[in-house]
Amino acid sequence: MTTLALNKIEKRYGATEVIRGVDLKIDSGEFIVFVGPSGCGKSTLLRMIAGLEPISGGELQIGGERVNHKAASERGIAMVFQSYALYPHMSVYKNMSFGLETAKMPTAEIDARVRQAAEILQITQLLDRKPKQLSGGQRQRVAIGRAIVRDPKIFLFDEPLSNLDAELRVQTRVEIAKLHADIGATMIYVTHDQVEAMTLADRIVVLRAGEIEQFGTPLEIYNKPANKFVAGFIGSPKMNFFDVTVTRQQAGTTTLGLAGTNIVVPKIDTTVDAKLCLGIRPEHITNDAKDGVALADLTVTHVEHLGGQTIVYGRMADGQSINVTLDGQRTVHPKDTLKVGATLDNCHFFDAAGQRLG
Amino acid sequence: MTDATHKSAFDAARGAGDTKKPSLIGRTLIYCGLVVVSFIMLYPLLWMVSSSLKPENEIFSTTSLIPQNFTLEAYRRGWNGLSVSFGWMFFNSLVISVLVVIGNLISCSMAAYAFTRLKFKGRGFWFALMLGTMMMPQHAVLIPQYLMFLKFGWVNTILPLVVPKFFAIDAFFIFLMVQFFRGIPRDLDEAAVMDGAGPLRIFLKIILPLSMPVLATAAVFSFIWTWDDFFAPLIYLNDIEKYTAQLGLRTFVDATAQSDWGALLAMSTLTVLPIFVLFVLFQRLLIEGIATTGMKR
Repeated sequence: MTTLALNKIEKRYGATEVIRGVDLKIDSGEFIVFVGPSGCGKSTLLRMIAGLEPISGGELQIGGERVNHKAASERGIAMVFQSYALYPHMSVYKNMSFGLETAKMPTAEIDARVRQAAEILQITQLLDRKPKQLSGGQRQRVAIGRAIVRDPKIFLFDEPLSNLDAELRVQTRVEIAKLHADIGATMIYVTHDQVEAMTLADRIVVLRAGEIEQFGTPLEIYNKPANKFVAGFIGSPKMNFFDVTVTRQQAGTTTLGLAGTNIVVPKIDTTVDAKLCLGIRPEHITNDAKDGVALADLTVTHVEHLGGQTIVYGRMADGQSINVTLDGQRTVHPKDTLKVGATLDNCHFFDAAGQRLG
Repeated sequence: MTDATHKSAFDAARGAGDTKKPSLIGRTLIYCGLVVVSFIMLYPLLWMVSSSLKPENEIFSTTSLIPQNFTLEAYRRGWNGLSVSFGWMFFNSLVISVLVVIGNLISCSMAAYAFTRLKFKGRGFWFALMLGTMMMPQHAVLIPQYLMFLKFGWVNTILPLVVPKFFAIDAFFIFLMVQFFRGIPRDLDEAAVMDGAGPLRIFLKIILPLSMPVLATAAVFSFIWTWDDFFAPLIYLNDIEKYTAQLGLRTFVDATAQSDWGALLAMSTLTVLPIFVLFVLFQRLLIEGIATTGMKR
């Protein structure tokens, strides 16, 4: 069942278009992550769903009902802010009860809800404290608690982990995933961190310049990026992009020229002499290629030893740079020459406009 | 994160003094210099206090700050010497000052909230216009204002001194509060919006409780300026029963008959006292209110 539908949603500030006709259908209970570089409009989109930002065009539906002009508090939505936005002068309890008091809920019910939420988040012992007496992780929980008490249909998270240190971030990420599993509400989560996106999402929305570049499950996006932008944005280290030229078109195969080497791949719908882009993730390139395609030899320029992996930076004969992530600990030194290759499954082809081919 | 920047700026300001410590002789000289200058600055005040404790004939005959014949006679004369007790004038001053404080706090905070958080047509223009009124000399509007209040039948009442303050006329306080409100993160407003609060509830429950430093600053300044004001009461108050303390002081000095300097100085000392106490009590808040442009979280 669709809980949230965006039809041609637009946002303009004067003449500047920030969101350009976004269509999206989100199912009930899904965990959706909006991801994209800064300035791509992901936070704006979230704030429009929240009701904090007026919608310039299109229609926003929640539970089948048009809510474009409904007040934020009447949309059945709760939001966790990047800064947590806890009221500094109120106790944790008051922070959580404020919205319910505003809604004039009976005191007994408010108390029950606050205590239940506090229990879920294990912050019962903090209820009398003020926000400034809490650690970053505790503030984060209170912010989530404030959302939970309202029993919303949809939770919105605006980069909720960006103020936490690395260790706490991983821990909280797991807790948010657990929370989602426990309460089963629809969640929309904005981040620029692709690891958060990959680990949390049921489906990811990749945004750029106010438009959806791709919408799909994390693995769909990893395995079949719709275009060069998505391919480069998701995955770390970044996907290698090589400029290749189509040298021959035959029945069933296409031959590509890369740094003086010919690579024969299954037929691609293109023309001879066309300039294409070949994308291969660093972790998919190996130096013991038995099957698949052999790429041009690379000259090593720099090596990083991570223990479990060895990251090799290098250049091909024509100067194109290439990164390779090799499993385990390898003895590779700068100026070494390495023979590398990849399986065909892991090769992505993009046309001159950056769109995926095949 | 805001905490950290605050702290570092503060530490930097405090640390600047002791990065290079002058020698013992240097420090002694500095302190001697400071003491001398402080004494010069304080002398008129000290003279006022000491003269109020001297008999009338000793006031102008010696420059010594220590009374040779200590007496509280001037205080008795000043308190009861007029047709109305000076205590009554104190009370008048207090009533006006307290009402002005209340009026300013309510009206200026509402105006400042509107300027910082509500969207309305020509907000920038009205804000500039409001700031512009700060540049306007009081004397330019005095006569039209007087005529207006005369028409209202308010002359010789405290209304002209008090009622306008309920209409956010003190641009300085609005400006002060606007600056402070701007420092309160907008996320808090938005969180409250998500919680279903309207502008009034946000103002009362979120903005005002967080603005105590600036409200205290505005209250103290408002009180001091009204308490110290001589001009406006002089224009609008005619009957001696309605006089403020400042006007009362004026009656001790007489151009034609004998002036009672002892009583004047004694009552002046008493008049300064509340302000002095207020300042000592709220000094920390005042500095905080003026210095805090950002919110500490």
